[in-house]
Amino acid sequence: MNIIKKGAEADIYTTKWQNKRAILKIRKTKHYRNQNLDSNLRKLRTIKESQTISEVKSFGIPTPLVYFVNLEKTMIIMQQIPGKPIHDLSNPKIISLSKQMGKLVGLMHKNGIIHGDLTTSNFIYFQKKVYVIDFGLSHKTTKPEDQAVDLRLIKEILNSAHATIMKETWKNFLAGYKSIVGNSKYLQIKNLVSEIEGRGRYATVV
Amino acid sequence: MIGLGIESTAHTFSCAVIKKNGKNGKILSDIRKIYRPPEGEGIHPREASRHHIENSSIVLSECLQEAKVTIKDIDIVSYAAGPGLGPCLRVGAVVARTLASYYKIPIYPVNHAIGHIELGKLLTGAKNPLVLLVSGGHTMILAFLNKQWRVFGETLDITLGQLLDQFGRSIGFASPCGVNIENLASTSSKYVPLPYSVKGNDVSFSGLLSASKSIVLKSKADACYSLQETAFAMISETVERALSFTEKKELLIVGGVAANKRLSEMLKDVCKRHGCKFFVTPLKFAGDCGSQICWTGLLENQIKKGVSLEDTFVTQSWRLDSVTVNY
Ligand SMILES: Nc1ncnc2c1ncn2[C@@H]1O[C@H](COP(=O)(O)OP(=O)(O)O)[C@@H](O)[C@H]1O
Ligand SMILES: [Mg+2]
Repeated sequence: MNIIKKGAEADIYTTKWQNKRAILKIRKTKHYRNQNLDSNLRKLRTIKESQTISEVKSFGIPTPLVYFVNLEKTMIIMQQIPGKPIHDLSNPKIISLSKQMGKLVGLMHKNGIIHGDLTTSNFIYFQKKVYVIDFGLSHKTTKPEDQAVDLRLIKEILNSAHATIMKETWKNFLAGYKSIVGNSKYLQIKNLVSEIEGRGRYATVV
Repeated sequence: MIGLGIESTAHTFSCAVIKKNGKNGKILSDIRKIYRPPEGEGIHPREASRHHIENSSIVLSECLQEAKVTIKDIDIVSYAAGPGLGPCLRVGAVVARTLASYYKIPIYPVNHAIGHIELGKLLTGAKNPLVLLVSGGHTMILAFLNKQWRVFGETLDITLGQLLDQFGRSIGFASPCGVNIENLASTSSKYVPLPYSVKGNDVSFSGLLSASKSIVLKSKADACYSLQETAFAMISETVERALSFTEKKELLIVGGVAANKRLSEMLKDVCKRHGCKFFVTPLKFAGDCGSQICWTGLLENQIKKGVSLEDTFVTQSWRLDSVTVNY
């Protein structure tokens, strides 16, 4: 087993599952936080991730197959998608794939799923297809507010990590999103995103 | 090069003198007077500005005296132009303008939040850090890219400082309440589950605030402990996400809440996992102070001549990610 990434919350190893190359994702104890809180969070997210990753397949989101889940060890073994996170691709490639990311997010929202952690590291490009991973923060809801928070997240990432191509990527992302959810839904969510930005971001000092 | 910096964005009125020599800065003095609202109440902008006006001349003269300089030795004057409370900001700006025009000193408007970061870098030696800015006015995770500080995560509603202050006031502490909460929290180790709200790299504290208030009747200490544990774990997790995403090898904590020892302890552990160096602004300079403004002005001076008096604005909600940094 080789560690390939210290992820946002989990350690990621490459391993074998029935002779196929696989990914082992394990949420290890974080000693810095209260142990009650820690074990609750790790368990909850392992459950969420393994459920949602399979559920979204039913409406056409490409995701890794889940091979094995061990709740006690808060660990998931899944299919390895041997491509590259979108984050690591060239700028022109990121710009052109943004539309597809927008479509995938639109499709999830349309089907009542919030991803909860939309970053360019959580989309993997492999053989001309965009896969979605990392569903630990996902939840089921059709609340516009939650959908807007989801979009704001990816906007924040584009605006920071991909600042030089923010305009094009965000435009393409929204175009993809709109093509799935329809114009009126799109406008509603886009307005909500602006409203949310106004709250925290431009709040004055008190 | 000797600079004078004036800070007056919120509670604190402060003047500082720094001597800059190449990349090095030496703080010669940093004098502050802090407005304290009545117990259980928040800051009143007009009361605070009155406090600042009343104290401005004494703070200024003490600051020059301690630095052993006269106003004639000052090469540039900088003031915090935002973000902050309008009436408070205007006091600092007026003092700076008066000095600049009477003594013909170049004047620099400085972004207060960038001031926290630059002073933190000066005092800790961090080179290319991921920055956690936690104060009354900000809760943000930032990294420098392409001439600007970019936001990788932030609060969706109230700041960490507001969370601590509003909760503290509800149990009768005088604000700023951070130290009192930290002390009371350290007497308990009973964790009461509270809403934990992390949304990607962002956090939301408003649900946590109201839930914390609803458990104080049982035990104030347990409430303080559980509030801190939950809020700081949320912050630590988002920092961890941003570290993993940006692959930065340094973390720097700045802003008033950087003084909290429990928060530092947790973030040190986060850094260990990511093989990352940990830096925190020294206690004395974590909160609002003239030095942060003075040092940033001196950095600006490397590439800019200063602004004309007509351009000495104040902007209540001046976002740090709208500032281009060229030095
Ligand atoms: N199934 C997979 N196939 C290929 N790479 C993966 C897979 N799962 C995770 N990774 C890699 O590991 C990184 C972190 O995984 P992720 O599930 O996002 O964990 P975290 O929740 O810690 O962010 C991803 O950005 C990706 O590079
Ligand atoms: Mg991830």
